[in-house]
Amino acid sequence: MMGFEVIKSGIFTLLQDRGRFGLTHLGVSNSGVMDEYASLMAHKMLSNSLEDNLLVVVFGNIELKAHGNTVMCVTGAKCELFLNDIPLSTWKNFKVNSGDSIKIGKILEGQRVYLAVKNGFDIKKEFLSNSTTVKEELGGINGKQLKKGEFLPYKSTRSFVNNRLKQEFIPSYIEEVLTLRVVLGYQEENFSQDEKNKFFSSTYEVTADFNRMACRLKGEAIHSNLEGIISEGICFGAIQIPKNGQPIVLLKERQTIGGYPKIGSVLSIDCFKLAQRKVGSKIRFENIDIEIAQNKVRDFYNVFNNE
Amino acid sequence: MQISIASVDSVIIYFSQEISQEISLIVKRAYSILKDLDNENFIEIIPSYTSILLTYDINKYDFKTLKKDLEDLLFGIKVDVNEEKSIITVDVYYGTDVGLDLQHMSDKTQLNIEQIIELHTSKLYDIYAIGFMPGFAYMASVDDKIAMPRLENPRKKIPKGSVAIADNQTAIYPKDSPGGWNIIGKTAFELFDKNLESLSPLSIKNQIQFNSISKEEFLSQGGVL
Repeated sequence: MMGFEVIKSGIFTLLQDRGRFGLTHLGVSNSGVMDEYASLMAHKMLSNSLEDNLLVVVFGNIELKAHGNTVMCVTGAKCELFLNDIPLSTWKNFKVNSGDSIKIGKILEGQRVYLAVKNGFDIKKEFLSNSTTVKEELGGINGKQLKKGEFLPYKSTRSFVNNRLKQEFIPSYIEEVLTLRVVLGYQEENFSQDEKNKFFSSTYEVTADFNRMACRLKGEAIHSNLEGIISEGICFGAIQIPKNGQPIVLLKERQTIGGYPKIGSVLSIDCFKLAQRKVGSKIRFENIDIEIAQNKVRDFYNVFNNE
Repeated sequence: MQISIASVDSVIIYFSQEISQEISLIVKRAYSILKDLDNENFIEIIPSYTSILLTYDINKYDFKTLKKDLEDLLFGIKVDVNEEKSIITVDVYYGTDVGLDLQHMSDKTQLNIEQIIELHTSKLYDIYAIGFMPGFAYMASVDDKIAMPRLENPRKKIPKGSVAIADNQTAIYPKDSPGGWNIIGKTAFELFDKNLESLSPLSIKNQIQFNSISKEEFLSQGGVL
């Protein structure tokens, strides 16, 4: 069988795709890649289907041995990438021959490295998706993170297109303050104008409480006139404001319903940028009108959909 | 009914500000109407106590058009509170060896354990929402006499199958999980089963009847102490 043998798995490497949809009414999380820009770009470079799966490496230190020829593209966080111990740049396709070793060492800038192969890995989907949700034991290989000794099968290929993404399209993950655009919604009417002004004029910081489920921020406390709310559905990017007033941005592996007041939601395409920020990064929020926001999101996906 | 923005690609439909059996039925009817459209542009539909969250394909809808369509579709839903629902019976072993908070509840309520079991099994429960974790169904309402606030110090691990109470709600933990509900018993009933096409035998359309069984029966059903 052709595929990668996992020599070193890294601490928390996950198989992901765009997510598991249509089961939230049963409490099953959407899951899926946290940074769709980097992951979809990897697939586009390889002319893959956007629904294909790939590996997400969060803490670096992974080594794979190829059994069979393929083509790869590594995107996302800036990292040490080696093919047979020779350094390679990311955001660029490269040929892999049978017997080759692919290593990712340290992650230098950003949080998540996406490692894609031509046509994705041949792994059986669970409820229409390969996305790994560890707490639900769904997707991936046995619902868990990658382990040493496991095998990731792919179909061998020799067809190689030497794509390299232009520098101007490669995101920087270290700008001083990241602006997240917010569509007001949910319980926004229960936040006074003063509280909203505070929210949109303050600078927040990413705390260590940041995982696939949510990102907790710290900074100026915001308050609504609500104690709590009747539990309701939570969408991607929703900004919960718990009693302590510190915003929580809900991400891909969020629980499906919850009872904290929400001021609105961060644009999906800005959540992808947030996904690459490290603890201590500075964040500010900017209000955006729904019509403009929808156009921004449509433009984002048109880059990947229009071939 | 009020339709609000939830995010760039989601709306939330509020049917009321208060929880009631009638509103829950309206939510369920509206959920069925939306599901039955089989509209592939509706990506997620999450019903809860008084609302439905709908995530949609913004390449097919803008917010204004969708809002108007939903208003036309869902305005003025009528329901019959006495409508028959399909009942699922869940066998529970109510013993103090698995019902870790039974004794505490008995002390607090001045009821003996038999009375607590009697009250818990004497009502049919509606499912108001499913969430928190796969298959976790929020059911209500338990008799006021056994309504019990959440534990001050949540447990790090509540065993799978635990039947529990928080305020006037009751639920079954589909798998081991941290949690703060009061545990009164345990069931071998599977709420989340990857081998089922539907993943869960429960839906918000069901009603639940709890049935008290002996330790021997519980063990013979595959229950684990």
